[in-house]
Amino acid sequence: MIIQFLVSMLACLSFAILFCAPRNQCIYCALTGAAGWLSYLLLEPAAGAVAASLLATFLLTILSRIFAAARKNPVTLYLVIGIFPLVPGAGIYYTSYYFIMNDMTRFAVKGMETFKIAGAIALGIIFALAIPQSLFHIFQRAHK
Amino acid sequence: MSVNIENFSHSDTKEILTLAVEVGDTLLRNGGEIYRVEDTILHILNAYGIEHCDVYVLSNGIFASANEDREDGCSIVRHVPLGGVHLGKIAAINQLSREIVANKCTLTDAWERLNACKALPPTKTWIRSIFCGIGCACFAYIFGGTLIDAISALFLGMLLECMLLYMSKRKSSKFITNIIGSAFVTAGSLLLLNLGFPVMQDKIVIGDIMPLVPGIALTTSIRDLFNGDYLSGAIHLMDALLTAMCIAVGVGTVIILYRYIPGGVILQ
Repeated sequence: MIIQFLVSMLACLSFAILFCAPRNQCIYCALTGAAGWLSYLLLEPAAGAVAASLLATFLLTILSRIFAAARKNPVTLYLVIGIFPLVPGAGIYYTSYYFIMNDMTRFAVKGMETFKIAGAIALGIIFALAIPQSLFHIFQRAHK
Repeated sequence: MSVNIENFSHSDTKEILTLAVEVGDTLLRNGGEIYRVEDTILHILNAYGIEHCDVYVLSNGIFASANEDREDGCSIVRHVPLGGVHLGKIAAINQLSREIVANKCTLTDAWERLNACKALPPTKTWIRSIFCGIGCACFAYIFGGTLIDAISALFLGMLLECMLLYMSKRKSSKFITNIIGSAFVTAGSLLLLNLGFPVMQDKIVIGDIMPLVPGIALTTSIRDLFNGDYLSGAIHLMDALLTAMCIAVGVGTVIILYRYIPGGVILQ
């Protein structure tokens, strides 16, 4: 589990650099991503992939809003990088793979799941964005 | 230093509006969401004392007007092509607009700072390709691959990023870039499999398509939709869906072709 955390952090760190995030913020982007991935891993066995994606995205968005308030940077910076481990890249691959292999049953299952995960990520972000900004001002003052 | 708002004459309206739109343009071009762009432009205009203004921003365009009912009224229409993401520029512009709003920046200063923001260089090519490789390897690993898969993904990822950079220099269409990119990593992983390496071909591909996967477009689209910018949200969503389809096409084509190669190892 610790290895997973560290590796996902390294993955997000690399992508933060790839998308030209400011040097001093890269580590926070990485932390956001790793936290999201870890909570997904912990929740997935109990709640299933879709609910786990929703909750993990929710937590990750809150975390990126905290960082954004504390470090006075746009939320996008942390959110965009942090979301990468949760984006259903594997789903896209398997869906197209089953489609080509003419395995329609598994194609439908995988396709629906990918679609649901994308929806869950959307809902997770939306719920976390709906929390009023005033709550996050605490972190802003604490950091000054 | 504080800016005295009364000092601005009517002829400055045009320049202030140009500055504000230019800031918005930079923000939008580098992946800022619509709400932030609109908000920034309005705040800058207000900070320089323009109260009568209207801004309408789409994913690929900015429309802004200031002081329409007066003699110095002017407006700007900008086309902003959908482009890459440079988070450093977004953060820098964010800082700049904060200072403008706090009236810490004169107009000339603001122009200078803006040009400095726009000139922020993208990460160097070799750094990019190394980190793309590392990122792909890590993703291949956390999605269930073994160490060998991760190492293969590392090299394929580095080659992929070099190819993507070359293609973006040649200004190839985004669709072609995505199709060829994903076809390339699939072909590479199948080659490794056929050379007899004990790799899980699917994990390598999943890790290596991560730089292509439309995570950013999806996130931006959700944020735009959430803020009520349905049109822009739909544009980004379309972008995300088409990108995903291109990846599927690229991966799929190679797998189909592979089945016609005699002696190919049969995939599970």
